[in-house]
Amino acid sequence: MLEINDLVGGYGSVQILNGASLRVGRGQIVALLGGNGTGKSTLLKTTSGLLRPWSGSITFDGERIDGLRPDRIVRRGLVQVTQGKEAFPAMTVEENLSLGAHVERDRAKRAAGLERVYSYFPTLKEKRHQLSGTLSGGQLQMVCIGRGLMSSPRMIMFDEPSAALAPQVVLDIFRIIHRISRDGMTVLIVEQNVRMALLLAHYGYVIRDGLIHIEGPAERLLHDDNVRLSYLGGTVANREAQL
Amino acid sequence: MDYVIDLLIIGLSVGMVYALVALGISLIYSGLDIVHFAHGEIYMIGAFIGLVLFQKLALPYLPTLLLAIVLTGLLGIVLERLFYRRLTRAGGGYTVAGMGMIIAGFGMSIVLQNIAFLIWGAKPLPFPVPFGRPLEIGNLNLPMSYVWIVAAALALMFGLNLLLKKTRVGLAMRAVAYNKDIAYLSGVNVPMMISLIFGIGCALGAAAGVLIGPINYVQVLMGIGVLIKAFAAAVVGGFGSLPGAILGGLLVGVVESLGAGFVSGTYKDVYAFILLIIVLMLKPSGILGVDAKLKA
Repeated sequence: MLEINDLVGGYGSVQILNGASLRVGRGQIVALLGGNGTGKSTLLKTTSGLLRPWSGSITFDGERIDGLRPDRIVRRGLVQVTQGKEAFPAMTVEENLSLGAHVERDRAKRAAGLERVYSYFPTLKEKRHQLSGTLSGGQLQMVCIGRGLMSSPRMIMFDEPSAALAPQVVLDIFRIIHRISRDGMTVLIVEQNVRMALLLAHYGYVIRDGLIHIEGPAERLLHDDNVRLSYLGGTVANREAQL
Repeated sequence: MDYVIDLLIIGLSVGMVYALVALGISLIYSGLDIVHFAHGEIYMIGAFIGLVLFQKLALPYLPTLLLAIVLTGLLGIVLERLFYRRLTRAGGGYTVAGMGMIIAGFGMSIVLQNIAFLIWGAKPLPFPVPFGRPLEIGNLNLPMSYVWIVAAALALMFGLNLLLKKTRVGLAMRAVAYNKDIAYLSGVNVPMMISLIFGIGCALGAAAGVLIGPINYVQVLMGIGVLIKAFAAAVVGGFGSLPGAILGGLLVGVVESLGAGFVSGTYKDVYAFILLIIVLMLKPSGILGVDAKLKA
């Protein structure tokens, strides 16, 4: 579904990616792991169009998307949920979600999309007219994920969805991602929480210094000492999460 | 008492005109981080376009107003696309290009004034609209030109509010104003929204020009004085706040009118700035001022 080949890129004149390659198969959940500054977010932002690639190719569902404007990429069905739970504090929950459906002009379809997101996140439905500036971290993350879902994408890229969230909330979020995946979504998840990500994913990549360092089935990476040694793998205590 | 009411009527009407210009300035600033120093010339060009439509094409006043608004809005979009957009080539959007934009605005203001000089000359031109008898409410005599100003300004403000709060495009514009990246990732065509926000800001400025035309003369230098007062109005109300721009405009209009009526007409232009100084001393962020928002 998504194929990234030898991607080179960065911010301004600072090069971060040095030829990273990865593949996400249709319907899969793929995890991209790595410490700070290794290029995870840069790779995501270059793929979603916020940054221009310097060289290399990005192919989504058979078509090249490298260099396209971000809203064009959203229209093709690829959506990014950014790090940092960025929502619009002066807008209500419902307005934040509706923004995600910008590409859909048909009112009925927008309303239907909204109901579908509410079925994933009943809490948001309760708080639909609340200003998003008043929400908790976990609820904000739900708003951001919900906003991503509103455009009916075929693939979602999550940038550190567990960041700055309490362990129980992290579990809730990951359960939701799992459910979204089961409903047919292709997922790329960037995480520092190595254990949770590999428990969730089918396949994993580890990025270091802007290059893919290790890759393999998630199950194997989970027990790979190289992976464990290289990173500040945050864990959710010693619990085996039941996903 | 009647004297005060007359002054208030004038003050509120002219205040509505200031409010429209200030609204355009605050809209452009809050949406795009641009301080548009050529906005007075947009107001002036709007007035001239209105005059041409009214006299040369003999359009009635309402179509003149509407068409002048649309045409000047389009002109604004052309200016943004053709000239101002280039300043963002280095990346970072208009926020980073801030200083360049200020200078470009001054330059554009000079260019627009001179284009207007070439086309229409330096002589102040009258904009005679046969409005008819004044409107009589109780024992108030409201000249129709003032009624038009208030009615049209209210309609435009109401329309803007409707657009921003209730439409898909308005939501996208608000998103672009707050965080362009997230707007992009939500599927919003951000460059187009930027042009649209700019165009609407210019359209509002033009409306002010066409509305004030029948009361004053239309002349090339009419934008200069209005620009600084509109800026003062926007700052008084809270720079970047839309309700603030309206409030600021009305306050400036009323203060100016009362000052001219009771203190001295010679120093009419000073009152707006006295108000500005007082407000800034009491509340530096402006009456309805908002805290700094996330930009770019």
